[in-house]
Amino acid sequence: MSSRLRRLGAVARRVLQQLSRDSRFLILSVAAPLAVIYLLKVFLDTMAVPFIDSTTLAIPIGAFIVHFVTYVLCAIVLVRERTAQTLQRMFVSGYRRPEIIGGYVLAYSVIATVQSSLVLVELRALFGLAYPTETLLSIYAVIWLLAVISIAFGICVSNFARTEGQVFPLIPLVILPSVFLSGIIIDVDRLPVWAQWLSHVIPLYYANLGLQALMIPGARLLDSWQSLLSLAAYGVGVLAAGTLTLRERD
Amino acid sequence: MGAREVIVEDVHKRYGRVEALRGTSLTVGRGEIFGLLGPNGAGKTTLMRSLVGVSRPDAGTLTVLGLDPYRQARALRPQIGYMPQAPALYEELSARDNLLFFGRAHDAQGLGERVERALEFIGLSARSRDPIYGFSGGMKQRVSLACALLHEPRVLLLDEPTAGVDPKLREVFWQHFRALAAAGVTILVSTHQMDEALLCDRLAILRAGRVLVCETPKELFARGRSHVRIWRNGTAIDRTLDDSAVRLPGLLQEFGLDPKIDRIEIEQDSLERIVLALIGADAPNAHQKDTARELQA
Repeated sequence: MSSRLRRLGAVARRVLQQLSRDSRFLILSVAAPLAVIYLLKVFLDTMAVPFIDSTTLAIPIGAFIVHFVTYVLCAIVLVRERTAQTLQRMFVSGYRRPEIIGGYVLAYSVIATVQSSLVLVELRALFGLAYPTETLLSIYAVIWLLAVISIAFGICVSNFARTEGQVFPLIPLVILPSVFLSGIIIDVDRLPVWAQWLSHVIPLYYANLGLQALMIPGARLLDSWQSLLSLAAYGVGVLAAGTLTLRERD
Repeated sequence: MGAREVIVEDVHKRYGRVEALRGTSLTVGRGEIFGLLGPNGAGKTTLMRSLVGVSRPDAGTLTVLGLDPYRQARALRPQIGYMPQAPALYEELSARDNLLFFGRAHDAQGLGERVERALEFIGLSARSRDPIYGFSGGMKQRVSLACALLHEPRVLLLDEPTAGVDPKLREVFWQHFRALAAAGVTILVSTHQMDEALLCDRLAILRAGRVLVCETPKELFARGRSHVRIWRNGTAIDRTLDDSAVRLPGLLQEFGLDPKIDRIEIEQDSLERIVLALIGADAPNAHQKDTARELQA
């Protein structure tokens, strides 16, 4: 194994060690989306719009909840490292930017995997999703990929904050446009042209496209390949941006 | 002084309106323990951060082991050990896990053994598996120092390494620094403690980003004055001498072998008083009292 990969693994291992010693954080990060999805079920049942299948709303909103929780959890991590001066110490010790970002994404992907799995299980149980196993796995792939991108997105955003307090205004700045412009509530085509362009920089837009394609009866993973590819490319872009914007020096 | 391993030439660094370094220059030789002494805001930490390449100077040149800490950071960092002022440790992790993590960055051979030796040196073997958040400030400093020493660096940069450490362990640390220096390790250490400053081979007194003097402790002491009090018939006669070794015989001659002299008391200026005088001379109207308070604290 190359020394770069070894160091990336060391960062991931250290982050997981830290997370494993914070049981409250772990429980909340997994339980919070599950509780919100239950409230979503109550809301959609109460709303009961005729001729609208609640599952077509539940799956994209479930994906949004995973995106939101994962993004918020990660938006603060590097700021904490910076204020504690451990980030500076990592750099001086010889850790490099891609190893630090990669290690964080790898470690938080473990949480994202558990979170995405439980969210899908809950969605299936509450909304009685009657999709074949292949479609369900495809939906899982989209939600999981979105969760991993949310990690990178959160880390990237946290590079622009110097203190933990500066992170908070950045949270609604990213999350609320996702709700309005990603297509989960209204069709993107109905938005003004400039807003349609803006929707293209929102990761949830690509995830929603993929999920909508998969929810058509008889759909397969390949049917949403364009969205998956866009989502993957988006992830690579955000990772690169996160790595390049991580300040090593002042 | 051995081969010059740390060279700082006319370095300037500004943070907004604050000029942290104003033409700082100094050199540190191989195997030398070089002290940076000065009040808060003197530029000690900025200089340290510049030397490890996490702060880019606005002007001037820095060289550590012949390398530019900013442009050649990757080549330099495996050869330097840095202990920042704050402990900079992961509070949820144990001392052992912190050491293992920072040790893994260097791909050091026999890391497990090195970690055990380091824990023994800092006297924390028995508590090596306890999380850092339960440690006192001094214990965290000990772990932080061990992290800097783990990969056996050629140059050590220590920013107030013994703050909060008890006197007995401080002595152990300094014995270790001496042993490292004897083995050729170059040590740059910033401190507020005057007794520690005396243990350095050379000292630079910094104030407001400038080096006021750069001398051995002996040379610094030579700048001090002797305060002589002669008791004659129960009355005190005070004299101050710039260079007691040369001037004391003259003073004694002045009084001759007067049988009425009861006692002669000679008090040498302390390093603290000498440093305060230097800082005061540099800025007679600029917060001298605050500076004195900081140094006394």
